[in-house]
Amino acid sequence: MDTVVKPQYNDGVVKAFTLAAIIFLVLGTFMGTYAASELAWPFLNFDTAEITFGRLRVIHTNTVIYAFGGNVLMATAFYIVQRTNGRPLYSNTLAWIQFVAFQVGLLLAVISLALGMSEAKEYHELEWPLDIAVALVWILFTFNFTMTIAERDKEKVPHIYVANWFFFGLLIMVTYLWVLNGLAVPVSLFRSYSMFSGVQDAMIQWWWGHNAVGFFLTAGFLAIMYYFVPKQAQRPIYSYRLSVVHFWALMFGYVWLGAHHLQYTALPDWVGSLGAMISLAMIIPSWGGALNGMLTLSGAWDRLRTDYILRFLIMSLAFYAMSTFEGPVMSAKTVNALSHYTDWTVGHVHAGALGWVAMVSIGAVYHMTMKLWKTEMYSMSLINFHFWLATIGTVFYIVGMWVSGIMQGLMWRAYDEYGTLAYTFAESVAAMHPYYVMRATGGVLFTTGAAIMLYNMLMTIRMANARQTNLAHA
Amino acid sequence: MSKIESYFHTDWAALTSQDWVGLLLTVAVFIAMAITFFYALRPKNAKTLEEQRMLPLRDDE
Repeated sequence: MDTVVKPQYNDGVVKAFTLAAIIFLVLGTFMGTYAASELAWPFLNFDTAEITFGRLRVIHTNTVIYAFGGNVLMATAFYIVQRTNGRPLYSNTLAWIQFVAFQVGLLLAVISLALGMSEAKEYHELEWPLDIAVALVWILFTFNFTMTIAERDKEKVPHIYVANWFFFGLLIMVTYLWVLNGLAVPVSLFRSYSMFSGVQDAMIQWWWGHNAVGFFLTAGFLAIMYYFVPKQAQRPIYSYRLSVVHFWALMFGYVWLGAHHLQYTALPDWVGSLGAMISLAMIIPSWGGALNGMLTLSGAWDRLRTDYILRFLIMSLAFYAMSTFEGPVMSAKTVNALSHYTDWTVGHVHAGALGWVAMVSIGAVYHMTMKLWKTEMYSMSLINFHFWLATIGTVFYIVGMWVSGIMQGLMWRAYDEYGTLAYTFAESVAAMHPYYVMRATGGVLFTTGAAIMLYNMLMTIRMANARQTNLAHA
Repeated sequence: MSKIESYFHTDWAALTSQDWVGLLLTVAVFIAMAITFFYALRPKNAKTLEEQRMLPLRDDE
């Protein structure tokens, strides 16, 4: 009689990363909402340096990108790599070391940022000792992930599934970009200065900055999409060939885009044009990828009526398509002249961050929770409620920022008949108030959804543990 | 008015060794990408590649 031995996966560490991710989602979105509220009602900083907007915003971005996003990426990468290669992790111990080191690092990051220790580089604010620590954790992650694939049974699994390729892209490029942008001269334990200066510093910063979006917040989460959409839909991805083209187009294209953040600056004009041109070209692979995910549901669209987890995954693709169209349009010089430095940019970032990154992660985490703890979710109705809170919250946020951003741009460039500015800067700030309230409302809705998700997950885990205990006693 | 040819004018003699390394690497990567696209979209390879679609569906259930 043939027996199939199922591989014993190392799921303990995946569970830990998953739970940490959702705890940080609640904390990160709460801090973002509080920071947004400070812009609408400035008294909320209570004249306390540690929670002023300038510091809280950075803590928010680091918490949602690295603490939430990083933990999601580590959880899903370790979940997917084991299942698509039919073997446990290369080293469970290394994975646990990575987990502990990462959480300790995140705690130190929050403390140091609240105390005002910052390199003042967007999405790369941590001072040099923590910078190096992050790089080491990332290398540990890359090593364990790569070795798990390298040591697979190549006769049983000859092909490396495309989700792993996207993770490879993320791991290799983020190491390279993080280290290069972080090159600095330390002058004390908590103070350093960038090794670059002037326009070169700006170019390196935005080469990193846009690739933090391109590789950390896109490639890694596309890996999640290419695995969890087929799993949740129980249908294969629409076109595997399209996924290969999507992967290579992204790897080649994203590294060029950073220059579009520096239009109308000291950067040579042609560099900005090149950045904008390739940004526009990137609409093609991005939409190809989004369609590839959505068309996976061809012939089974009715499942969206009943499968709330699938709704999160498919809605995330709609936001991915929307923001990968909006971004290139904003990079074109004519549009950029109006949109740059305004709230439109903030709205665009959040269309991607809330609509795409958070929603695809939420869908994946709900799916993993049921598989990892081998149970149904505590409440499917709460998932449906969460879906609507997240969607309406995101729409509130981005619509508020579109209106306020375009208004800002138009007010700043308006001239009267004598050629002088029609509005003072303070007038433009006052005009933003209703939209800042609208944004804070969107944040409250999104954060409430995240808190409901955490509650639903904890109750699910409790239910699963209670069942295990009952089985043990039976 | 800038002429299109002046926009694309390149002073080849002014290129430093870093410029040349960057230029050659970029062209090489672009060619590699074109080869990958050709491989992925070639009808002959469709079956081999599309078979991999099923991989996540048979992994842990």
